[in-house]
Amino acid sequence: MADATHDFSKHKKTYTAVGIALFVFTAVTVAVGLVPWFDIGPPGPDGADFVLGLAVAATKASFVALIFMHLNHEKGLIYKLLLFTFLFFLGLMVLTIFADHDPIREQYDTLETTRGWLTDKPEKP
Amino acid sequence: MEIPYEVTPRRDTGLYNAKLGVWLFLASEVMLFGGLFSAYVFLRLGVQDGVDNPWPWGVSVHKSYVWLGAINTLVLIASSVGVVFAWVALKERNWRKYQLYMYFVVSCALVFMCIKSVEYHSKLYKHHGIKLVDNSVMEGVIVDGSDRIRFTGEKLVIGLQGALPAVLKDLKGDAFPKFTVTEGPEGTVGEEIASASAFKAWFAKNRRAFYAKLADERQRFRAEKASGVENPKPVSAASSVTLTAAEPFSVAGRPRKILLHNATALNYRDGVKVEGKLVSDDILFEVHEVDLQLVLPTKQRESVVWNVIGDEHAKQHFFTLQAKKYQELAEYYKDRGGVIPEKQLRGRFLNVQYVHVAADGHGEEHGKDDKHAAVHTSEPKPTAGGGESEGHHGPSKVIAVPFDQVKFFGNHGPRYGNYYAIYFTMTALHGLHVVGGALVLLFFVVFGKKLYLKNPEHLANRVEVGGLFWHFVDLIWIFLFPIMYLL
Amino acid sequence: MSAATADQHAEAHDHHDPFWKKYIFSTDHKVIGLQYGFTSLLFLAFGFFLMMVMRWSIAYPDRAVPVLSDWPWFQAWLDDGGKVTGDLYNMFGAMHGTIMVFLGIVPLAFGAFGNYVTPLQIGAPDMAFPRLNMASYWLYLLGGALMFVSFFLPSGAAKAGWTNYSPLATTTDLHYGDLFWTGQTQWLVAMALLISSSLLGAVNFICTIINLRCKGMTWMRLPFFVWAMLVTGFLLLLAFPPLEVAAIMQLMDRLAGTSFFVPTGLNVSGMSFDAAGGGSPLLYQHLFWFLAHPEVYVLILPAIAIVAEIIPCNTRKPLWGYKTMVYAVMVLGFLAFIVWAHHMYITGMGPAISTFFQTTTVLISVPSVILVSSLLISMWGGSIRFNVPMLFATAFIPMFGIGGLTGLPLAFSLPDLHLHDTYYVIGHFHYVVAPGTIFGLFAGIYHWFPKITGRYMSTKLGHLHFWPSLLFMNGIFGPMMIQGMAGFHRRAFDGGKAYEQISSQVFAEPNSFLANLAEKLHIIEPDAAFRMIDLNIVTSGSAWLLAVFQVPFIINLFLSPFFGKKTNSDNPWEATTLDWATPTPPPHGNFASEPVAYRGPYEYSVPGAVRDFIPQSETDPALIVGSEHDPEPEEGNSLASHH
Repeated sequence: MADATHDFSKHKKTYTAVGIALFVFTAVTVAVGLVPWFDIGPPGPDGADFVLGLAVAATKASFVALIFMHLNHEKGLIYKLLLFTFLFFLGLMVLTIFADHDPIREQYDTLETTRGWLTDKPEKP
Repeated sequence: MEIPYEVTPRRDTGLYNAKLGVWLFLASEVMLFGGLFSAYVFLRLGVQDGVDNPWPWGVSVHKSYVWLGAINTLVLIASSVGVVFAWVALKERNWRKYQLYMYFVVSCALVFMCIKSVEYHSKLYKHHGIKLVDNSVMEGVIVDGSDRIRFTGEKLVIGLQGALPAVLKDLKGDAFPKFTVTEGPEGTVGEEIASASAFKAWFAKNRRAFYAKLADERQRFRAEKASGVENPKPVSAASSVTLTAAEPFSVAGRPRKILLHNATALNYRDGVKVEGKLVSDDILFEVHEVDLQLVLPTKQRESVVWNVIGDEHAKQHFFTLQAKKYQELAEYYKDRGGVIPEKQLRGRFLNVQYVHVAADGHGEEHGKDDKHAAVHTSEPKPTAGGGESEGHHGPSKVIAVPFDQVKFFGNHGPRYGNYYAIYFTMTALHGLHVVGGALVLLFFVVFGKKLYLKNPEHLANRVEVGGLFWHFVDLIWIFLFPIMYLL
Repeated sequence: MSAATADQHAEAHDHHDPFWKKYIFSTDHKVIGLQYGFTSLLFLAFGFFLMMVMRWSIAYPDRAVPVLSDWPWFQAWLDDGGKVTGDLYNMFGAMHGTIMVFLGIVPLAFGAFGNYVTPLQIGAPDMAFPRLNMASYWLYLLGGALMFVSFFLPSGAAKAGWTNYSPLATTTDLHYGDLFWTGQTQWLVAMALLISSSLLGAVNFICTIINLRCKGMTWMRLPFFVWAMLVTGFLLLLAFPPLEVAAIMQLMDRLAGTSFFVPTGLNVSGMSFDAAGGGSPLLYQHLFWFLAHPEVYVLILPAIAIVAEIIPCNTRKPLWGYKTMVYAVMVLGFLAFIVWAHHMYITGMGPAISTFFQTTTVLISVPSVILVSSLLISMWGGSIRFNVPMLFATAFIPMFGIGGLTGLPLAFSLPDLHLHDTYYVIGHFHYVVAPGTIFGLFAGIYHWFPKITGRYMSTKLGHLHFWPSLLFMNGIFGPMMIQGMAGFHRRAFDGGKAYEQISSQVFAEPNSFLANLAEKLHIIEPDAAFRMIDLNIVTSGSAWLLAVFQVPFIINLFLSPFFGKKTNSDNPWEATTLDWATPTPPPHGNFASEPVAYRGPYEYSVPGAVRDFIPQSETDPALIVGSEHDPEPEEGNSLASHH
């Protein structure tokens, strides 16, 4: 790319723009956590916040990967490599579905019902 | 033959060696952090309500950390932009600009690590928690050093077959107590040990001697048995040694190393026993917050925690706040079926509340205290998620928590729960990457001039490759920030 | 180029580099390969020694261990009668597994053979990153040294099995004052170093294979060995990090007191364990097996690859189904990542998940069978030269076959309930790695020795090594299968003596053929039944005799470089791949002039050709009659065209 020196002013503009976009998205991420307007659902944080927060993070990450890491200029080889990595990464994430069926914990289920969470409610003042 | 494609890319792959190498390395890094993210989700989904330590949902962990994390995100993004600009500067053959950008990047890394250490320091030294026997939890600050078992020792009983006793690290005072061996294997009785290094040498020597003796004894035993002796004399090699100190010495025992203790003895996990007198095992604690998530709603009023705190007003305050929040929830769910989900009832929102145990004049007049009236009105917003309130309002009283009421205690370090564990593991690993990346980039700028003059394209490639790693570090943080600080 | 000029070349190099730079801190892939080779052979021998002590305890649980019982350092681990204690058995068992897998076979197969042969076969001057290559060797050595040193700590080495399952591994040795210097912690530290070493190695290999292929070396002209190394590299690259994560997390559990793998309410020795709780032991198993299953293929693929080089060369026929084998190995690499939980059926994951993993596990046997069948068919109708490497390569196929087929019952969750943790499992995977992989590696050593030293290894000693090894390997692992099905548990340090019902089962009736044979060998009393437990003595005896018959190999390995028969050319086996087109031994930089590949890797017995082999780089028009010849090869096609 050394011969394409004239191109770099354009590159610089892109990089600045992406940098600013990332700053803005960071602000959005913080807002998702702190500002009541973003608080979808019942008071306090919940699943909706999670999805929103991770979606913003994923957008930021793809900006970094595509522009800063020049993935948009690469040939196919790297994509293949990353595709495999991504597949196995998904494999790792599949692990987490086992978390809901942990037989070692399941013995506590009985314990839980006997402790009466379902029936006991805080007393009304 | 020279190694090809070190600088120029290979035509069919479009890559020079280092770039391909770094992408492969990043692929393995994806799997490394992927494993940790997977563990994060696994552990978080696996939390059994009412049994395991609850995951601290959302910003309620501590709001000031959010700002630290957000600033760090911005710092890293800025440094990422810096790296690409440094690379562009090299492509344009502008050494001055390159230097400037690179030093900017490295200083960003430095700022990042400084902010990180502020955060770590606060978690490790300014926040503690104690879980009592009925699983109620108090959050606050443990007074320095009061989490140790303070003991005055006279005698030390150690075994020679194991490792160096852990008690050595717990001996307090300027001088190492002067020990005399009063009981032990032949030839050791009467020996004097006056310093820690002398102790180590003495221990190593006698450990060796013990095993040599044991080997001899066993050889004899087997020989006697083989030659048909009925009931040969059993193997005997003394390994227990009693050391008596010239004058009483003080021990500050780390509870994790101690198995049991009573008024006259301190038993370490490694089998060492200290005989003497217990000074105190109370933990001095300043309460900021009470967490009753693991206590049944009907049992909350009789919880041990209220006896330990011993302040009726603090208790009242807790339940007033809880009732207020219950009202809020009830209002929200009125239009949505009228039933508050069980998860909400158990959760942090209702069961973690700020309490204040005032240092002076609590009791009847307490409620009329102007300062306190202010506290009540400045309670946190419902959206913040929990009963968090920043700052202290008036000096707090330090209470003494009896050791036998404590089930578990610690700072907000990795030990405190799975959130803290994964937080520290991931951020520390990420921090190591930051330091490593920054060092490499620093190397490129400090020692890069020679290569720049010889082959600027090669240096540009190196910066590009270093930059790829740096962006990856940034990318990880982009995910770490929301999952660790916000959600 | 003749051997003489090569010597001159090597001498010319001597003037530049002092000894330490040339042989110790070398960046030459061949020297690093040899360093890997010797270090890993030492560790293999050490792992073998650990196993022999364990076998003593199993065969003769009530007799003192010979020799070792008088050594003072050993006393902590023996009882008064000089017998092996459970602690020692556990320690040696855990370390035998760890050392054999991570310090013995992987470095020998991947580190040594991969390093030495891969760049030669693709016509590259060296690895893509020579200094990184050196770093990965030194990291490996450091990790190995830590593992070794941990035996001499007061706590001894790790004792929680080579799998190091939590919470056992988390809570073992916690009473020592200095937790860092306990064997259990050192295992984790050493593993972190070994994993880093493997990761660097994997990056280097993949990069070398993708970017450093010489002119004309297109993807489908790569020897099968290189393909296998590429897939192995990917397995290491992507499977090792989760284990590193598990190691870091367990290290945190031990040193920082976290509870990643410590469940709530854990009791240890009757006392509540002092930790926050809330962790999951299953998480560790998932992370561990996410690595450790692909690791099995890391162990076996290089061996298959070596055999795939030796068989065509010694049958003088092309490798049968080369392309099929390449695709099979890729599919194998992919499937290796999604079968891990078949090691965990008895954790009670539930039938749905078990079914999924059963399916994938059965699927993975398809590419494995393709590989082995292709090798077998390659021999059909060939004029086979039964030299020593070929003997080992031939023996590899049935041995690996037994190992693979005995794995099928374990792939199904129902039979696994019965067989889990019995000697059957031990027999199964040792058939894969001991007579399987290790025979492949021996074959490789005998095969490439003339290239490395310019001399052959002794054939007589080779035969003295091969035949007894084959016999005793089966003597060790055959009885294990039978014992396993009878219910012998793998972790019983007395060999099952304490379990009367299991151990007294009769293997052969009194005075039957087998019982008489056993009587003659003094395994059983006259006229007694040959019990299942007596098979322990057969196994242990075979193990010690196997050790004895490694002596010819050791003598052969160390004396042949000086006294072996000299080779008369650079290509003594008349092979076709580029590694034989270098001077002997290959100098720094490997090739005298830049090599070019004009054809595929296995052009043996081309109809109409003058000789029965046409090397990949051959250009003499008289010698290439009948072969495809590409006079102006491209740099190499992109990966895309063949993917």
